[in-house]
Amino acid sequence: MLPQKMKQAMADNPKKLANLIDLVNLPSTVREFVGQSQISRLGCFMRVWSYIKTHNLQDPNNKNMVRCDQKLKSILLGKSQVDLVELPALIKLHFPKGPK
Amino acid sequence: MGKVSPSIRSMISTAALVRQSQVVSSGFLSQVERHRHFPKKPTKKSSSKLPQKTLEPELKPLFKSPNLNDAKKLFNSLIATARAPEDPRFHNSLLQSYASISSLDDSISLLQHMIKAAPSFSPDRSTYHILLSQACRAPDSSLSPVHKVLNFMVNNGVVPNQVSVDIAARSLCSVDRIDNAIELVKELSLKHSKPDAFTYNFLVKCLCKSRVLSTVHSFIDEMSSSFDIKPDLVTYTILIDNVCNSKNLREATRLVGVLKECGFKPDCFVYNTIMKGYCMLSKGSEAIGVYNEMKKEGVEPDLVTYNTLIFGLSKSGRVSEAQKFLKIMVESGHLPDIVTYTSIMNGMCREGNALGALALLEQMEGQGCTPNSCTYNTLLHGLCKGRLLDKAIELYKMMKEAAIKLETASYATLLRALCREGRVAEAYEVFDYAVASKSLTDAAAYSTLESTLKWLKKAREQGLVV
Repeated sequence: MLPQKMKQAMADNPKKLANLIDLVNLPSTVREFVGQSQISRLGCFMRVWSYIKTHNLQDPNNKNMVRCDQKLKSILLGKSQVDLVELPALIKLHFPKGPK
Repeated sequence: MGKVSPSIRSMISTAALVRQSQVVSSGFLSQVERHRHFPKKPTKKSSSKLPQKTLEPELKPLFKSPNLNDAKKLFNSLIATARAPEDPRFHNSLLQSYASISSLDDSISLLQHMIKAAPSFSPDRSTYHILLSQACRAPDSSLSPVHKVLNFMVNNGVVPNQVSVDIAARSLCSVDRIDNAIELVKELSLKHSKPDAFTYNFLVKCLCKSRVLSTVHSFIDEMSSSFDIKPDLVTYTILIDNVCNSKNLREATRLVGVLKECGFKPDCFVYNTIMKGYCMLSKGSEAIGVYNEMKKEGVEPDLVTYNTLIFGLSKSGRVSEAQKFLKIMVESGHLPDIVTYTSIMNGMCREGNALGALALLEQMEGQGCTPNSCTYNTLLHGLCKGRLLDKAIELYKMMKEAAIKLETASYATLLRALCREGRVAEAYEVFDYAVASKSLTDAAAYSTLESTLKWLKKAREQGLVV
């Protein structure tokens, strides 16, 4: 179980927050998907998630799975099926740590 | 100055109490107290500013541009019509309306124009107070605009009085210029008028909020030595509240001693404040001790006392005792309200008796007490913690229909409970609701979701969760 204190620390940590909401220059694949050259990690997640919802990409039998279409595949490591649990981690891959 | 009417006492101390309760963990005392028990806002200022209150709604958008010439023209056309009232309040309203969009110099010019154009109008004290309040809010880091208005007042034969001091201090504090406010109050004390007890206590409260304790004490000492303004019971209540909020109960106890030495008898508000201090530290026995002392001293506990006590006992996991006090409370003629019930529910949930809390919800609704968002969030949190996910989802759906916002804790617990059961899609749906209802910031909602999913992934790898 995630301790309460750790969660609080995350909410309070300005660095963590910054790497969530700072605009980042995107690699070409993601740029194509979101249609702009800069986006924050949070914004990117929101885009992908709303894309999944509007295109009904969730597996009707198991809502926890996403069946990727061509466009989505291009940014999620080419996987044809993605677990919703993995989604934030997969998106994070496009936002490497370290100085830009 | 020493005597303060009970009604005003209550409004000042309760302002402190309201502030206090926001600090209390989940903050559920605050929302209700503010609306239920203390509907009265301080009325002191309104007497001096009555004119602007009488502003009719259709007059509001009168001045569309801050341009002085336009305003003068508009005023001329207004007084040219026969319907224009002679009442100075009418002129004050106009000035107030213009002052809200213009610069100070333009307001002064308009006032001078008004005096010239309408000889029947003679500006009174409240007219100058409009300008004074505007000057205090002016985006200027010095006090020169304020001095300008004060000189203008004095030159026109209106000497600043206690109301002027009060308006200036409150206006300055409303734009976070407390140092200027204190400087001005000291200056006015020398020249014209000392602040009254309300202004003084207001300043002490503002200082408590934003400055360290030593600054507050040096202000009190200085006012006492230079202007013979002594702290009263309200001042001590504010100070005690302040130290209680920073969990410094030792200092609070010392202050009660000082207060008694000065010949004051602690009243209900002082006791409530100290009790709250203990409750925030989950010291149930000490809170009961305060209650017993109140009884011994012959101070009748009020609704806030009982609510604080019940809250504190529930928080420290002594629900059965809390329920005992609920009975005493009803017997002494206080109706338990939403704060009382939510406190007890919170306690029951802590004990793991979420179903009992749910039953209490029905009982509460049966007594005509409408639950608020705190109640629902407490229950949701409790149900999730008690692994009653189905009930929790039921409650969540109800909350969603009623557009009740989620709180950080209950949101996080619900997400975790859903993920634990592998219902990740539903967790995403809750995330969507939290974002759509603006319960949390997007970033907070997302980071909770992200960390919960991360935890789930790890737990799956270790084979703890399927």
